[in-house]
Amino acid sequence: MTSPGSSPADAPSIPHERPEILGQLERRFGDELGAGFRVQATVDGVPTVWVPAGDAERVLHHLKLEVERPYPMLFDLTAIDERLRGHRRDQPASDFTVVYQLLSFDRNEDLRVKVALAGDAPSLPSVTSLWSCADWYEREAFDMFGVRFEGHPHLQRILMPPTWKGHPLRKDHPARATEMEPFRQSEARQEAEQEALRFRPEDWGMKRGDDDHDFLFLNLGPQHPGTHGVLRLALQLDGEEIVDVVPDIGYHHRGAEKMAERQSWHTFIPYTDRVDYLGGVTNNLPYLLAVERLAGIEVPPRARMIRVMLVELFRLASHLVWFGTFVQDVGMLSPVFYMFVDRERIFDIVEAVCGARMHPGWFRIGGVAQDLPRGWDDLVGDFLDYLPRRLDDYERMILPNRIFRDRTVGIGAYTREEAIDWGVTGPGLRACGFGWDFRKERPYSGYDELDFDVPIAEGGDCYARAEVRLEEMRQSLRIVRQCVDGMPSGETKADHPLATPPRKPRTMEDIETLIHHFLSVSWGPVIPPGESAATIEATKGANGYYLVSDGETRPYRARIRTPSFPHMQMVPWISRGHLVPDLLAVLGSIDFVLADIDR
Amino acid sequence: MTGAAWPLLVHLAVAIGLAAGMMAVSHLLGERHRERATGEPYESGIVGTGELRGRLSINFYVVGLLFVIFDLEAAFLFAWAIVAVEAGWAGYAGMLVFLVLLGVGLVYEWRQGALDWGRTRRAIERALAARESSRRPVTLAGVPFERGTPVGTKGRR
Amino acid sequence: MTETARALWSLGGIVLAVLSLAAGLIWVERRLLAVWQERYGPNRVGPLGLGQVLADTVKLLFKEDWIPPFADRPVFVLAPTIVMITVLTSFAVVPVAPGIGVVDLNVGVLFVLAMSSLGAYSVVLAGWSSNSKYSLLGGLRAASQMISYEVFMGLALMGVVVLAGSFDLRRIVEAQRDGWFCGPQLLGLVAFLVAGLAETHRLPFDLPEAESELVAGFHSEYSGMKFGMFFVGEYLGVILISALTTTLFFGGWLGPWLPPVVWLLLKTFVLIAFFVLCRATLPRPRFDQLTGYAWKWLLPLTLVNLAVTGAIRLALEGP
Repeated sequence: MTSPGSSPADAPSIPHERPEILGQLERRFGDELGAGFRVQATVDGVPTVWVPAGDAERVLHHLKLEVERPYPMLFDLTAIDERLRGHRRDQPASDFTVVYQLLSFDRNEDLRVKVALAGDAPSLPSVTSLWSCADWYEREAFDMFGVRFEGHPHLQRILMPPTWKGHPLRKDHPARATEMEPFRQSEARQEAEQEALRFRPEDWGMKRGDDDHDFLFLNLGPQHPGTHGVLRLALQLDGEEIVDVVPDIGYHHRGAEKMAERQSWHTFIPYTDRVDYLGGVTNNLPYLLAVERLAGIEVPPRARMIRVMLVELFRLASHLVWFGTFVQDVGMLSPVFYMFVDRERIFDIVEAVCGARMHPGWFRIGGVAQDLPRGWDDLVGDFLDYLPRRLDDYERMILPNRIFRDRTVGIGAYTREEAIDWGVTGPGLRACGFGWDFRKERPYSGYDELDFDVPIAEGGDCYARAEVRLEEMRQSLRIVRQCVDGMPSGETKADHPLATPPRKPRTMEDIETLIHHFLSVSWGPVIPPGESAATIEATKGANGYYLVSDGETRPYRARIRTPSFPHMQMVPWISRGHLVPDLLAVLGSIDFVLADIDR
Repeated sequence: MTGAAWPLLVHLAVAIGLAAGMMAVSHLLGERHRERATGEPYESGIVGTGELRGRLSINFYVVGLLFVIFDLEAAFLFAWAIVAVEAGWAGYAGMLVFLVLLGVGLVYEWRQGALDWGRTRRAIERALAARESSRRPVTLAGVPFERGTPVGTKGRR
Repeated sequence: MTETARALWSLGGIVLAVLSLAAGLIWVERRLLAVWQERYGPNRVGPLGLGQVLADTVKLLFKEDWIPPFADRPVFVLAPTIVMITVLTSFAVVPVAPGIGVVDLNVGVLFVLAMSSLGAYSVVLAGWSSNSKYSLLGGLRAASQMISYEVFMGLALMGVVVLAGSFDLRRIVEAQRDGWFCGPQLLGLVAFLVAGLAETHRLPFDLPEAESELVAGFHSEYSGMKFGMFFVGEYLGVILISALTTTLFFGGWLGPWLPPVVWLLLKTFVLIAFFVLCRATLPRPRFDQLTGYAWKWLLPLTLVNLAVTGAIRLALEGP
């Protein structure tokens, strides 16, 4: 289709006024780093700077601790294999680029710091001493791209099996099974794979016992009813006291990011549904917001509000599942059944609107798939009358229960400071008293026109997380009510050549629109080259998509930043010193989905 | 009518017979299979690490000791209970003295922390101290914490 | 009818009734839970799903009777039978109605307590002999839980003994002609019910097998009828505790109009339903909290109850 370098959109301009941080960094590092310091223009307006590998740690240290109005959170860390990328104007030569995305609450602004690395065995210093959450992010970048982070305490695979050969997100790694040798699991191989999974305490600096104790090492999961999926936690126990925990993730890894590189922009949408599989269309939204920004599409108001309504319904569904399974983890068997009944009613609405229940994949580039069905408002209205009473019941049934309080108050607590250091977002952050909500702070999709509160609680423990989520459900109901009452009329898909699937009516009138339609349907739209990120307040925290387009019918790189990943990483930190049952309460309370961790 | 005790023995024999019979029938009827991992202990599908028969946490022994102390003393109370009326106020006084001693013992154990599953609190404190030492530097200057609506602390203690 | 024949008839009847009740409880419990959880429960096999009981039994019988190579063989096999034998034997001293009952022991209460202590071995040995980590943790929990609750289980009953002046269960029932003991012995009743829940390790006290934590706890490595026997043992335990509570606190077979046996069954059923309701409503405490409740609350409570009961009894009737 488009040959590299020829597109007029090759040099995106910075749409907003120049962010203050760029000047600050230039003054501080411009002379010192010389040509190594570079500013890149991006479509999404996120200030983006390039720094040399050797100085990255220093710059990041400055950004976290020294710069005025600092960036305390490492929001995401990933890499890009640049070797096949055509449109790289403005950017220094690089084979592999490591991308740090920082978040400043004070500025309410992100900052992207990029580091160019050359050669087949790239390496740069680790920033694990700067941010606790950098640990897993760096391991992931190593696993997926083979980037070595010098000084990392446990630089080993995290998502792929320990025996895997190659680094999957490199462009030369096969993307489908037919490009690889046929898979065979011989007895010997099974034996070897099993052995590779055996937990070796010494690798993690653990002792098998000391003068006073013999420690018991226990695998909790992947086949365990309390872990909500294929999660493995290797526990070091003294009796039932948790000395240490090592989470082992990746059993649910399906290569969503790699798949994005071979799907068209349009056909990747259903894959996003399955990342946070309780969130349904919530996952479509950040992806589409990023795509639409790349394509320059303005979504019509009706479509925006339909999106918000469905996202809030899915937030309710997800919170209900979370609440039910959480209290079941502390031994209360019944509420989960009540909550699944309520969730069915939400799915009735979702099915009427989308035709599917859990994974509708119903949002489209430029809008939504269809208009709402006749009678939708009654359907939603009935539900809005039904749920509040049930929520009141749940609150009375669960929160004041003495045993429930004994099991959750003070368990798995963390402070705001720790939450920020570990990259915690969403209800987990609000449960320790920091009401940061992307819907309020950076309103997208029309949230600024809606009236709702951001509930916060004190304590940061399991109980506080329950309180916050319960209140969030009430606020979601408020939002849905406003959507029903104030649903604008008009189009449900943008009138834009890149909106997909394209409109049909005029195709039978002239050959040009017919060909355009044909190409757009069979190959998919060509999204202009550039980089764009979008973050939303998803069901479990901040879900962000960082997309790189090389001017083709598919993403060059799609990075999915999920909330569950950093939250799971924090589990050892908040469970040490507790007992095994507390660990299960903690796991239940942080609300993770394995697919959201492993992607 | 406190009759002969032999029906009790018959009853016991019937119970044993039933249990043995159930085991035998299922042994005869049950399927048999043998696969690669059949003979491995369950540990969530992963091969295990380390010894199982290590020393156990001291807390279990503490509970065991408590049991020995208090269950034995309870046995003396059983003897009083059956003759409470016949033993009269004198017997009651004796029992009460014994009870007070028991109570004092319990309070002592309680204050020693023997009833608190030993080191749990200490373990948490140790973990918190370990947190302190591995904390990353952070500055929260300017973080706009003042936002959001408190849910209230309805159910909290 | 001779004394011998009567005893044998009672024996056969009681064992048969108790075993069918235990099997039927599978259905009762699942249907009751379903009612309280907005769902149907088993309703496919036979009328009202009653055939479920038979289907489950047949299935269990045909499951593999597996003894893990790493287990302590004789103990592993014996452990599940212990709970069934001890609980079943305990029924021998439960007076069903005037003239119906296997044996009237003058130490009936003590016999039941002794059997319940022996029953604890079942779970502990199962966890220990399995040689598997989850089983071991379950077994350890079971041990600390059961011995904590056993201490005051006996003490909770001593108030009743003081009032009735006998360990003989039949005489305890007779002593309730003027009024059930559940009133004057309310504290004892509460403590005994809590201990009963703990001894049968049912939710909220199912810590030794807590599914979300220990998968299946002490019986992780058990399959087929050996697993089934723990299951049956648990249900037998529920029936036993309910029947005992009825006998000791709710006047046993006493009641107007209906035949005595029916009264006993009715009262027992209500208590069984209470057990199921507990399972449907309560969360599970942590085991350090569980042992804490036992030592810090229930033990002092039962001691105070005993002292007060003795004083009142003496004051009312004189020495």
